[in-house]
Amino acid sequence: MSVNVWNISSVEGWSRIAKHIASKLRDGDVLAIEGPLGAGKTTFVQALAQELGASRTPKSPTFSMLRTYAVNQKSIKRLLHVDAYRIENEIDLLPLDLDEELHIPGTILAMEWPERVPKWLANRRICRLTIEMRKYGRKVSCLGS
Amino acid sequence: MKRFTILGIETSCDETSVALLDVDFRTKVPKVRINKHVVSSQIDIHAKYGGVVPEVAARSHVPETVSLLTSQLKKKDPLSSFDAIAVSKGPGLATALRVGVQAAQTLAWTSGKPVVGVNHLEGHIASAWLVPENRKRWVFPSLALLVSGGHTELVLMKDFCRYTVVGSTRDDAAGEAFDKSAKLLGLGYPGGPKISKHAEDGNDEAYHFPRPMIHDPSLDMSFSGLKTAIRQEVGQGARGKEQGVSYRGKALKDVCASIEASIVDVLIAKTIRAAKKHPVKSILLVGGVSANKRLRSDLSTAVRKELPGVLLMKSPVGLATDNAAMVAAAGAWHLARGESHDWKKMDAEPELDL
Repeated sequence: MSVNVWNISSVEGWSRIAKHIASKLRDGDVLAIEGPLGAGKTTFVQALAQELGASRTPKSPTFSMLRTYAVNQKSIKRLLHVDAYRIENEIDLLPLDLDEELHIPGTILAMEWPERVPKWLANRRICRLTIEMRKYGRKVSCLGS
Repeated sequence: MKRFTILGIETSCDETSVALLDVDFRTKVPKVRINKHVVSSQIDIHAKYGGVVPEVAARSHVPETVSLLTSQLKKKDPLSSFDAIAVSKGPGLATALRVGVQAAQTLAWTSGKPVVGVNHLEGHIASAWLVPENRKRWVFPSLALLVSGGHTELVLMKDFCRYTVVGSTRDDAAGEAFDKSAKLLGLGYPGGPKISKHAEDGNDEAYHFPRPMIHDPSLDMSFSGLKTAIRQEVGQGARGKEQGVSYRGKALKDVCASIEASIVDVLIAKTIRAAKKHPVKSILLVGGVSANKRLRSDLSTAVRKELPGVLLMKSPVGLATDNAAMVAAAGAWHLARGESHDWKKMDAEPELDL
């Protein structure tokens, strides 16, 4: 278990964190991203996708709940971007078929609002990224396995 | 095909919908009649099944699609109810899209009738064509401002079924910006329409919210920064609480009006910019957010002032959100051009672009 903490004050800061996280991610990993509305969860995933060599820039997955991006970094080929924001009952996560999706080799999953689906996340190898809002910038901590 | 009845099926996200559309392309202005149309949202469906059987609740598109088809097609000879089928094949949620696509494939196989896999977004664009007044004046090239909870795109159309996306949001959709603003103000989620309601007699200059990229020469938009701005304005910055904002009465009206103005101003500025960059003869306003009163009236004013001679055609408020009539209409465009798809090769395409 390792803990990393960053204090960032500009958009460029996200790239720094993304670079670090991208280097740690392995096939099948789940990245749980916590933080209030407007914290920068999607902005971080945009930086991560760029770091992983995605050709398209992620957009908010709130409405569609799941978006998939082709990436290319060593063994990682697919980035799933999930948003549990609209999920009120954990049962509503089922139609996303996340277990099946994660089984496809080379897939990693970044999830916003993981606190909405604790059961699905339990006993899973996850890296937890927490974004806190500060007056000027953000405090980001990463608790990884 | 010149005259036919087309069955539309829509299951791309939260809504399940089925429609039967009679179309006649033999006249100069095509005749179109929505013969049957039902839409049920997940909210209704969840209430209906009450979550009693989890698999049913989670995959409620399946029983709902079957039940809607059963109720809308002829009892005696269901396959004689239509001459062709159109289905949303993407973009959307894979498992949800697959329900509609598989229903369409089954019907195409059993009936031997042509099927068209429609892009959900062109369905939204086609919703404006369902208005008789619009069909009479329909003219290309056209620029569509497609705004919904999941999409915000500027689409150039040189002809039916020919689309080029010239601008889009880089992060949050406009409808999402409305919904999340409402959440930050403690109005619940989704609360976009509530913002508009409170905004009606508010002062839109009482607060200043950013209009990101409004002067940027690109046709792209960005709405994610609005959340941070609202959070700072409502004074819950560092504490990061989701609720507990105490805007009431006049202050709530003013803050809502200011938020609405910031979103609408960007949408209009980018639409006008796009129409000047790619000269068009008409503008289409479509998608769930097109029902927003301020957007409808401000865009009319802006088009009159900035784009003389350009027609503005809007989707009817009742057909602005996801529905199968629009899918059938887009399918009809394809069939009229002689285009249909092989049902055996059709599949859901969750990341489909226009």
